[in-house]
Amino acid sequence: MIRLRGVSLVYPNGTRALDDVDLEIEKGSFVFLVGHSGTGKSSLLKLMYREELPTRGEVVVDGIRVDTLRRGRVPKLRRNIGVVFQDFKLLSHKTVWENVAFALQVTGTRTKDVMRMVPRALDLVGLSHKSRMFPSELSGGEQQRTAIARALVGNPKLLLCDEPTGNLDPSNTTEIMELLQRINLKGTTVVVATHNQAVVDRMRRRVVRLEHGRILHDDERGYYFRGLGQTAVLPG
Amino acid sequence: MDWGRLRFFLGEVFANFTRNAGMQLTAIGTVAVTIVLLGAFLYVRETLQTFGTGVLSQIEIAVYLKDDIDDAKAKDLATTFARDPRIASAVYVPKREGLKRMKEVLGADFDTNLLTSNPLPNAYHVRVKDPDTVAAVARRIAADPRVAKTDYAADTVQKLLKTAAVLGRAGIALIALLSLSAAIVIANTIRLTVFARRREIAIMQLVGATNFYIRMPFIAEGMLAGVLGAALAIGVLALAEHQVVPKLASTLAFVTFRVNELTLCGELLVVGAAVGLVAAWFSVGRHLRA
Repeated sequence: MIRLRGVSLVYPNGTRALDDVDLEIEKGSFVFLVGHSGTGKSSLLKLMYREELPTRGEVVVDGIRVDTLRRGRVPKLRRNIGVVFQDFKLLSHKTVWENVAFALQVTGTRTKDVMRMVPRALDLVGLSHKSRMFPSELSGGEQQRTAIARALVGNPKLLLCDEPTGNLDPSNTTEIMELLQRINLKGTTVVVATHNQAVVDRMRRRVVRLEHGRILHDDERGYYFRGLGQTAVLPG
Repeated sequence: MDWGRLRFFLGEVFANFTRNAGMQLTAIGTVAVTIVLLGAFLYVRETLQTFGTGVLSQIEIAVYLKDDIDDAKAKDLATTFARDPRIASAVYVPKREGLKRMKEVLGADFDTNLLTSNPLPNAYHVRVKDPDTVAAVARRIAADPRVAKTDYAADTVQKLLKTAAVLGRAGIALIALLSLSAAIVIANTIRLTVFARRREIAIMQLVGATNFYIRMPFIAEGMLAGVLGAALAIGVLALAEHQVVPKLASTLAFVTFRVNELTLCGELLVVGAAVGLVAAWFSVGRHLRA
């Protein structure tokens, strides 16, 4: 699904976000990108949906060479990728329904299809009964579920989550992670960047650990810290 | 036609437009001022042109013949005139005829009893086809040995022609400048709405909306501001025409012409829309490339 080869990313201010990264993510898998903030997790995700272009190296997503993709082709790529952020990025003047429908409407989907696809996405995240509410009337978890519904409404093959639980309390966090797992079970490839140790350790999925822009380790069914379980003591 | 999509699009444009109402009003006002001036300018220019061509087509060269040229000799001149392709007509006015006309024009103010003889020379009234050739034709005729003197409203004609030309050039420059300033104000307004909607734009880009689609509501918004400005201007111009022009017409006889209103309104609306379109295109484009 995703293949990065020799990818480096240096920002214009000289910050080296990624340094010679090789990474392969298979179709249908669930992967955690972990590491402290500023280790390049977000940058890695941005390369995948072409928010950033690599300074060097090759990025392939679903068979498409993203690093050399023409600007005009980017919208088509993005329609196949759902992205979720820590701050939800919902439109406050639109209802839950409108926020989700927005993603379809601005990509020229026919109204008939919008009417069919939005309820399905809301049903998936369990928000059908709150579709007329505004984001300010929702809990953090519900807002994030709205954002996930928006990311998924167009049936993308890939869901990228950048600290999806960063603003949520533990119970909402669990709720969101369970939702992501269900989405993954339906066949969507899910990549989650997080520094929430509890989440990673409980789920026991593939863990790719980044440090200073490099991949430190990459474990199937891994922990946040290699070789340590939930009993690990968090470093100060 | 997918009415749902149209409704969504129009809803976005409208929400956009009302969210920045204050700035939009400024933009509309600027467009309106520009177009009022454009309209007033077109009006004045066309009035002058109509008046000018009217006057010019009636300009006569008075050709006064020498005293020793009698009627018979004067008739020979007619063939000379006929040979000049620039001359439209040449009417012979013998001195007694000239005196009669003078009496008609001056009426009671002119007491012919004071005259012992007719002081007027035999004359021709020559009209040219193209007003621009008046001066040349007059010089040519003056060179004829039978002619004592030619006379025409030289200064007036030249000044009128020159004024019309200068006004035309100055007007075009002025309008270009005003259109530019209107476009800049609209562009700034759009840039503000773009800024206010940067979240939406970011989301649109994230979910794969094309730049064209992202641009469209802003373009529509810019054109709406332009068209509303033009409509306002047309209202002002129409009011001015009905209130001011009749008063002017009573004092200045030549201000009688009326603009072909439908065509002019159409043109002004198109100008407004075009200014808005260009402004919006550039200001959104800058954001999308960033």
